[in-house]
Amino acid sequence: MADPASPRRVRPLLAMGLAGATGLGRPLLSFGFILMLWFFVTAAGLVPEQIFPSPLSVWQAGVEMAENGTLATDLAVSMRRAATGFAIGSVLGVTLGLLTGRVALVRALLNPFLTLLRPIPAIALVPVAIVWFGIGEGSKYFVVSYTVFLTVWFNTHHGMEYIPEIYLRASRSLGASRQREFLTVVIPAAAPHIVAGLRLGVALAFLSLVAAELSGASSGLGYRLQEARQYIRTDRMFALLILLGALGACVDLLVRWAGRKLVHWQQG
Amino acid sequence: MAMSGHVRVDQVSITFKGKEGPVTALAPTTLHLAPGSFTALIGPSGCGKSTLMNAIAGFVTPASGAITLDGTGISGPRPDVGVIFQQYALFPWFTALGNVKFALKRLGLPKAELQDRAMAALEEVNLADHARKFPQELSGGMKQRVAIARTFASGPKVLLMDEPFGALDAQTRIVMHRLLIDIWQKHRATVLFVTHDVDEALLLADRVCVMSQAPGRILRDYPLDLPRPRSLRAQAEVLLPIREEIIELLHPTSPHSRA
Ligand SMILES: Nc1ncnc2c1ncn2[C@@H]1O[C@H](COP(=O)(O)OP(=O)(O)O)[C@@H](O)[C@H]1O
Ligand SMILES: [Mg+2]
Repeated sequence: MADPASPRRVRPLLAMGLAGATGLGRPLLSFGFILMLWFFVTAAGLVPEQIFPSPLSVWQAGVEMAENGTLATDLAVSMRRAATGFAIGSVLGVTLGLLTGRVALVRALLNPFLTLLRPIPAIALVPVAIVWFGIGEGSKYFVVSYTVFLTVWFNTHHGMEYIPEIYLRASRSLGASRQREFLTVVIPAAAPHIVAGLRLGVALAFLSLVAAELSGASSGLGYRLQEARQYIRTDRMFALLILLGALGACVDLLVRWAGRKLVHWQQG
Repeated sequence: MAMSGHVRVDQVSITFKGKEGPVTALAPTTLHLAPGSFTALIGPSGCGKSTLMNAIAGFVTPASGAITLDGTGISGPRPDVGVIFQQYALFPWFTALGNVKFALKRLGLPKAELQDRAMAALEEVNLADHARKFPQELSGGMKQRVAIARTFASGPKVLLMDEPFGALDAQTRIVMHRLLIDIWQKHRATVLFVTHDVDEALLLADRVCVMSQAPGRILRDYPLDLPRPRSLRAQAEVLLPIREEIIELLHPTSPHSRA
């Protein structure tokens, strides 16, 4: 009676196969699948190569850029911009978040304004940044650090608001001064939120950097993407996009690892 | 020193802001704790035991009345009023040792002495072997022992305990009772111990105060002048009648409830 190919029988098998693929297995399975799909779609000639390049030509475009040296330079330039912007933005964001979380006056003066700024997309800031800082490094630092700052500030402030009251009660009844309470209770208690904010900040640093480089730059991965558009080099575009994705994922893994070391007491 | 740790709660009432105006959490209550005494506070859930304790700890301000320690008013949390919370309130970012050191920091000791005294405090609760562990690596009973060591390390005159063993299993509780009595007899702080377990109150305290339904006030006050360690069986003659009375006060048996 039962159809052997019914979903009832197939599903557990599929689930078992997926459960077996742990750690690196799962992403590799997914990448392999997409790569194969990509390969067959392009090999079948369904879309013109210039619109949707094959995996092989994307690989070749990547190798070409690596060999003529632009890849390394662009990578270095973009990384420096992202790192500098991130550093400035996160230091400001954490500092101000601690202040708005702790000092009522600062909170009253800044929170409504900063909350109003949050919905403005980073890309919308690029024209202003170019007018203010030109197309050099200044405008990139500005856009990235501004974006990172807002997110890190918001998360830090949020973390400060949700510090369990019981920690503050314990700290005060154990005779800690306000300064010691701040340094050894408030900051660690808010740390999980701060770390979450920094992680978001890293992702946004890349996002806003590419936005800034796409319009008004003379180097960097975003600029190279824009340049490839002018020559309709979709193969280069794809190579650059994949590089950006891989780069973002690596940095995120690094930040996650560092975050787990830093707030070791937080499970999950 | 002999006469310090005298707590006086005089006609203290406490209200909270509710959605529909102020809510009385504690009706005017008077309670005096003699220096070095061990008082258990028992009452139905929601009657204001924690609220009263939080007021003595300086966490909440009474709406009326006065609370003093050795004659001076309590205006906020202070290290000579120690608090043990049911949820332990250990700092998860510090080790057991780090948590105890936190309490000793205010004394401004040299590094080596800070370390020695923190270790000694952990030894007192039999946790020297676990000094380097983080709270999340410890069992509930161990966490509460670290919390006890931490609070006693800061040298409190008064120790407030809010259902400290409520989350522990029966076996662990028995161990904790012995440990608490040992340490208390050594340090002689004035203890106020909130519990909803009548037997626990009878086994530990010099005096058991029973509170009414919310908004609470103190209904009855039983002095217990019995040697320790106690046992309900060995001291049944004195303890069992009191136990019956307290249970009757907490859960009045009306004729209707028998049907
Ligand atoms: N922070 C608060 N805000 C409003 N109501 C509170 C607050 N804390 C306690 N209450 C109320 O006060 C009453 C007494 O609470 P509590 O002291 O916690 O009782 P318990 O005897 O169970 O410890 C309860 O009705 C409770 O809802
Ligand atoms: Mg309570």
